[in-house]
Amino acid sequence: MTRVAILRYPGTWSERDFQHALSLVPGVESDILWHEDVDLAGYDAAVVPGGFTYGDYVRAGAIAKISPATRELRRFADAGKIVLGSCNGFQILCEAGLLPGAMLRNEGLRFVCRDVFLRVESKRTPFTLAINKGDVLRMPIAHGDGNWTAERRVYEELISKDQVVFRYVKPDGSRGEGGNPNGSLDDVAGICNVKGNIVGLMPHPERACEELLGGTDGARLFKSFATTRMAMQGA
Amino acid sequence: MTFVATIRVLPKAEVRDPQGEAVRGALRSLGLAVSDVRTGKEIVVTFDAADEAAAREAVRVMGNELLANPVIEDYAYELREGVPA
Repeated sequence: MTRVAILRYPGTWSERDFQHALSLVPGVESDILWHEDVDLAGYDAAVVPGGFTYGDYVRAGAIAKISPATRELRRFADAGKIVLGSCNGFQILCEAGLLPGAMLRNEGLRFVCRDVFLRVESKRTPFTLAINKGDVLRMPIAHGDGNWTAERRVYEELISKDQVVFRYVKPDGSRGEGGNPNGSLDDVAGICNVKGNIVGLMPHPERACEELLGGTDGARLFKSFATTRMAMQGA
Repeated sequence: MTFVATIRVLPKAEVRDPQGEAVRGALRSLGLAVSDVRTGKEIVVTFDAADEAAAREAVRVMGNELLANPVIEDYAYELREGVPA
């Protein structure tokens, strides 16, 4: 069994969506942990879901980085375990320094709530290893501060180390006008750390796991994760 | 001792400020010859510290650990003695 811990901070709202999405993947079980009671011993992966933790006060994700749960998450990630942050989770991982860069207000200043198209740019994370590079995935976003940016020198290093995992594209998979919903640098939608065990993305894969809700492309990330876990366990 | 720190957080010069751009447009539509607007925030913190040196160190922790994100923001501050709560 692959065990996933789903962190819940004050203001997290996607924890049950993640638990439901993971329940659809054979061989994976998950627990929702309240941020004051986070002990990640025995888990294989941790998820930081979306929401408006601490009201997005100061900056989205800023106050969550000070929670003891985030200290535990840092130890967990340093030990090479798998961490996935979606939306506010990605913001928290950037604020905590577990992923590079920072978030600005969306370029159009509007909260954007719609489907976007992501192109897989790197296979070197557990969530994309079993997906083809260049595949286009459709899933929803719902954010006001998803405009990811980084200093030029930091971004050049990210590129050289294959750390851009997803980019916003048009439905046909090409870059360009209309693909990027928030103005993020170089259409970046998701990145990983140097080791590839920490992944952050602004979209919500957990909300694209049921045909009834519009599509199942998000499920491909979780299936890829489960497949790589089973391969590792079998090795 | 009680201190009051007024901390100003602004986006770094090289970072785009979409809110500033929106405010610039709004001010210009009031008929004002506004060329540039940068928006940030001011945070006023009343706290205790042993002395001024300790107070300045405390403000550095506030600015670096929470109130400003060094990737995209700079902060500046003024410090004065305050009245105990």
